[in-house]
Amino acid sequence: MTGLAQRQAAFLGAILDDEAPLPTGWGDERAPGLAIYRNNYRTSLMEALRSTFERTERLVGEDAFRRAAAHHCIMHPPRSWTLDLVGKGFPETCTELFTHDPDVAELAALEWAMHEAFVARNTKPLTTAGFGEACAKFTEGDWEDLTLTLVPDLRVVGASHDLVRLWSSLAADRAKPDVVPCGEAQCAIVWREGERPVFALRPAWEGAALDAFQRGATFGAVCAALIETLGEEAAIAEAGAMLARWVGEGLVEKLAQGVVASPAVTPLSPFASDSSLSVR
Amino acid sequence: MSAIAPFHGFGLGLRRTHYADFLEGEVDVDFVEVISENYMVEGGKPLRVLEQVREKHPVILHGVSMSIGSAQGLDEDHLSQLRGLADRIDPLWVSDHLCWTRTSAHNSHDLLPLPLTREALDAVCANIDRAQDALGRPMLFENPSSYLTFPEDEMAEWEFLSEMAQRTGCYLLLDINNVYVSAHNHGFSARDYIAGLPLDRVRQIHLAGHEPGEIIIDTHDRAVSGGVWELYADTIAQLGPVATMIERDDKIPPLAELLAELELARSLGRGNAGAIAA
Ligand SMILES: [Fe+2]
Repeated sequence: MTGLAQRQAAFLGAILDDEAPLPTGWGDERAPGLAIYRNNYRTSLMEALRSTFERTERLVGEDAFRRAAAHHCIMHPPRSWTLDLVGKGFPETCTELFTHDPDVAELAALEWAMHEAFVARNTKPLTTAGFGEACAKFTEGDWEDLTLTLVPDLRVVGASHDLVRLWSSLAADRAKPDVVPCGEAQCAIVWREGERPVFALRPAWEGAALDAFQRGATFGAVCAALIETLGEEAAIAEAGAMLARWVGEGLVEKLAQGVVASPAVTPLSPFASDSSLSVR
Repeated sequence: MSAIAPFHGFGLGLRRTHYADFLEGEVDVDFVEVISENYMVEGGKPLRVLEQVREKHPVILHGVSMSIGSAQGLDEDHLSQLRGLADRIDPLWVSDHLCWTRTSAHNSHDLLPLPLTREALDAVCANIDRAQDALGRPMLFENPSSYLTFPEDEMAEWEFLSEMAQRTGCYLLLDINNVYVSAHNHGFSARDYIAGLPLDRVRQIHLAGHEPGEIIIDTHDRAVSGGVWELYADTIAQLGPVATMIERDDKIPPLAELLAELELARSLGRGNAGAIAA
C-alpha cells in the first residue's frame, strides 16, 4: 500500500470508529478536526436514513430509530458512491432489532421499495388494448408458454399487518400508529404511477405470482402453482382476473413466449379474498 | 482536451424545495447548478425536472462523489453514469472537489482533505486525466474547506491547485467561503491563497455561509458573511467577471431571499464595493 492509501485507510477507519485512536503521527491538536469529520459522517448517514424511512421513525420514535440507524451504519458502513443506497438492508436490520414487532421491518421494507420505485427506469407499460391485441390469437399453448416482463419499478413486500392503515396513520408527526395484524397472509405491491410511488395490499399468492414472473416463470407454471394453492376452479378464475388487473394497473411492460426452461414455482400462499386495498 | 470558454453570470443551486419556482415561474438567474449525484438515477421525477429546467437555463453539474484524490483510483460505475448524465443534459461544465471520499472498502460520503504531498498530487493528476478522458471534456475542481492538515504536507494548497491545473488542463472552481474557512482554521492568509492561484483557470465562484467558532464550519445553512463578501469583492477586482453562485444546502429559505442575496453579488460584480455595507 502506498503512503497515501495507508493514510486514507487510517483516516477513514478513525471516522468510522469513534473509539479508534488518532492515526499515526497525529497530535491531539488534530482531534477537534477529526471530531468534525466524524460528526459529518454520522449526520449525513442519519439524515439519509431519516428521509427514506420517515414513517418507520414515527412508528418507533426518534430515540429507537436513532439507535437502529446507528447500529445499521456500524454493521453496514456504506460502500457505494451513492448516498441513496445507505438504506439498503435497513429493513433487515429492523427485523433483527425489533424482533417482537414485525410491523417495523415490514414498514421499513415498504418505505425502501417506495424509495427504489421513485427513481426506477421509465417505461411504457402495455395498455389493456395492446394486451388484448397481443393475446387475441393466443392458442392454449401460447398461454401456457407466456412470460411477462414486469415494469422495473414493481416491488413485492411481505405483509402480516395492514400496511395501508399503518401507512395512513403515520402520515403526519405525532400520529398514533394503527397496527392491525392481517387475518391472512398478505403482501404489499409497490409500483410507480407516473412519478408517484404507490402501493396496494394483495393476497400473498398474488405477490408470489408476481415474484415468479419476475424470475421468468411461464403463465402455465404460475397457474399450476395457483391450482395447488386455491383449487382448480378458483385458480382459473383468479389467474385471468389477476393478469387483467396487472395490465390495467400498468404493471406489465411486455409479453413474450417460448422461454425454454421455466423455473419451478412452489405452491403459493393461502388465498385471502376481498383484500385488495389501495392507497393510491 | 478542449477548452472551457468563460461564462459570465449569476446563478443558484437548484434544490428540491424550489422545483416549483423554477418550473412554473421565470427565475432571474443566468444558470443553475445541480448536485450531479441527485440526478444519476435511472428515471422518475428528478430527471424529468432537471430536463425541464435545462430547457430554461444553462446547467452546471457539480459532483460530490468522484473522490478525485482516492489512492485507489476512480469508480468506473460512477464515471460512466456521470458521462450519461452529462450527455443527456449538455451542461456548461462538470465539476467536483479536490478531496477524497472513499477507500476501496468504504465511503464516507464526506469531502475529506488530502495531504498536500507530491504523492497525492500525482494520484490526483492521474485521476483527473482518467476522469476528463472518460467524460470527454475538461472539468473544474473546487478548493475544499477543511478542519485539519497533515503533518506530511509539503506545499500550500494553492501551490497544489496550481500545479494540478497546469499538469491536467483542468479548471478551477474557486469557493471563496472555503478559502475563508480554511484560512481561519489553518492560520494562513486568504488573500495570499487567492494571489497564489492561476486566476486565468478559474471559471466559477461559489459563495456560501458558515458557522463561526474556534474552528469555522462550512455549513451552507445561512447567508454569506461580511468577510466572505469582502474577499469576493477583492477577488473579482483581480479576476474580472466570472460565473458566480450562492450555495445553500441546509435551512433553505424561500427563493426570493436567495435571489436578493445574489443581487448583492451582481452589484459587487458591477464594481459597487459599497454594496457590502448596505
Ligand atoms: Fe462550494
